Amino acid sequence: MRGLFSNGMRPRAVALAMVLAVWFVAAFGRLVDLQILNHGRLKAEVLGQSQTDMEVLPKRGTIFDRNGKILARSLPAQSVFFSPLKSESAAKQMEQVMRLKDPLRLSEKELSRIRTRVQKKESFIWIKRKIDPEAAGRVMGLNIKGIFLQEENKRFYPLGTLAAHVLGGVGIDDNGLAGVELQYDPLLEGEKGRRLILRDARRRSYQFETLKEAVPGNDLYLTIDETIQYIAETELEKAIASSGADWGTVIIADPKTGEILAIANRPVYDPNDYPPAVPGEGVNRAIQHTFEPGSTFKIITAAAARELGRVGLGETYDCREGSISVGGNLVGDHKRLGILSFPGVFIESSNVGVIMIAQEIGERNLYQMIKTFRFGERTGIDLPGEEYGICRPLSSWKKSSLRIAIGYEISVTAVQVLRAMNVFATRGRLVRPSISLGAGVRGLSGPGTQEPLKILSEGTASELAEIFKRVVDEGTGLSAKLEGFDIAGKTGTAQKFDEELGRYSSAKHLASFVGFVPADDPAICMIVVLDEPKGLMQYGGQVAAPAFRDISARVLRYLRAAPKPKAETLVAAKMAKARRP
Amino acid sequence: MVNRKYNTKEIALGAAFLLLLLVVVTLYILYQAEAVQLGYRIAGLEDRVARMKEEIKKLETKKAGLLSLRRVEGIAREDLGLTDPKPGQVLYEGIDIPREKKGR
Repeated sequence: MRGLFSNGMRPRAVALAMVLAVWFVAAFGRLVDLQILNHGRLKAEVLGQSQTDMEVLPKRGTIFDRNGKILARSLPAQSVFFSPLKSESAAKQMEQVMRLKDPLRLSEKELSRIRTRVQKKESFIWIKRKIDPEAAGRVMGLNIKGIFLQEENKRFYPLGTLAAHVLGGVGIDDNGLAGVELQYDPLLEGEKGRRLILRDARRRSYQFETLKEAVPGNDLYLTIDETIQYIAETELEKAIASSGADWGTVIIADPKTGEILAIANRPVYDPNDYPPAVPGEGVNRAIQHTFEPGSTFKIITAAAARELGRVGLGETYDCREGSISVGGNLVGDHKRLGILSFPGVFIESSNVGVIMIAQEIGERNLYQMIKTFRFGERTGIDLPGEEYGICRPLSSWKKSSLRIAIGYEISVTAVQVLRAMNVFATRGRLVRPSISLGAGVRGLSGPGTQEPLKILSEGTASELAEIFKRVVDEGTGLSAKLEGFDIAGKTGTAQKFDEELGRYSSAKHLASFVGFVPADDPAICMIVVLDEPKGLMQYGGQVAAPAFRDISARVLRYLRAAPKPKAETLVAAKMAKARRP
Repeated sequence: MVNRKYNTKEIALGAAFLLLLLVVVTLYILYQAEAVQLGYRIAGLEDRVARMKEEIKKLETKKAGLLSLRRVEGIAREDLGLTDPKPGQVLYEGIDIPREKKGR
């Protein structure tokens, strides 16, 4: 028998041993490379292929109206994502995605976005987010490798366009972008969670592992009343349709607390499809649009005259000329008026009379009262993007600036004018408007429940409220008159400045009416603003006052405020009672 | 080495002990298995409760949409032919508002 190391076998044995040694060294070397030299990189690569750490968005809090009606709520919705195999080519990966084109109705833009991300070799790609349950079922039925569903939350606004500008809207990641959704985003959004997606080498199956639970956001109760909001919106629509105005806004508030019951704007958008397609639709004109108010601003001049200027109620003003020069600019009345008393000037809304009163009280007193009413400052309403308005300091006033007394050369927002009129409704108190009742619990102190500021004596406020009542009973606001209720208000018709002509236009107006009802014990304070009404009727008393009346009638009926009995029927009632045994 | 002889009593005692041990272990395993089963059922029911809660929320939201005033008014006016009440047709409860007498 020949041994292994016999002469014939030895070279072969040595050769085999060497081959084995080389193989062993190579294998060992490779092991060192894998386990020691490139261990970190390779481990990260494996984990990257088998695990994906992703953010879990929390369920956003629900928004309710003051009566607990749902205005916005987040509900589960499925999102489709693609987790491709790195070993597959981009073309093959796109082939898989293309199978979803029809079931998900993917647009070319969406496909292009996905293609770019596939080419970048990203491990997690959203295909389509927040799809309807039927589409989700179709996707899962296709059983495409690397395509998964992820449950997310979608924001629903069940009342559609109602209170759109108050609610605002959210982005694709449920982050507030406008309105209370933005203002109270930290409160509503909750806390994000983290989730680990585990996959096998071929990614045939997967598993979710929660690393951190998402904490849902808090609910929010608004001061808005769904019914009053609806009334405001439908009546505003009617007013715009009948007047041909470009846009309009209505704000209704509780005078005592400053709680906003409705903010209506037209044009409007659907918050379910945020952001709005037309950029202008997203503007909350109640707080984000400034304008020269015109005659509604005369309430400030009246306050200054009585509180600071010591102008007597019995004083008269000769308005027979029909116009007056202010710093070289001619200011005229809407019609030729006679000699008017102090109340008469405001009841008839005489520009000439008000300028005379302003000259009497002086610029300083007028400016002081404007600042007392906080014009040129935000009202502090808890909505984002509120404008300051423009109120130039007294030092930069020109001679023509006295026109501020009739609502020119000053820029205000609708909510500022409403707050100013509310001072008369509350008999001298400046109340901050608010939109939120609080989070979680109804009735919790909201930002608007701070102590109101007393800025006008009760005597002056009551006296002027009585004059504003006569504006509706016998003056320019006659069309706001409502059977059974006393309304105190002021009309406003401001000529708009035409940039092209370089002067105020006689054809373009901003019509408004601001007031409160019932005048003696106000339930609501409201402003109606209509921009550029067309046709023959363009004055505030002609287009905004009727809208004010119609909204008031419906809101007061809803609030179960009973009308005053007629004087004649009151007598009849007494007689009827007297007949009783 | 001397092998100790067990008597019948000792063997019976040992067998009984072993049997008891076997019964206890079996019962414990059954208990554990039942506990696990119950755990699964509880988890399943909790999941179902969570899904039901979500369903309730979904239905509440749907209800809110169906009861939207715009929709209700549309049905009232278009389908049912209702109109706004005239001033005299509104009655105010608990408030003594004299009505105008007819024929005067």
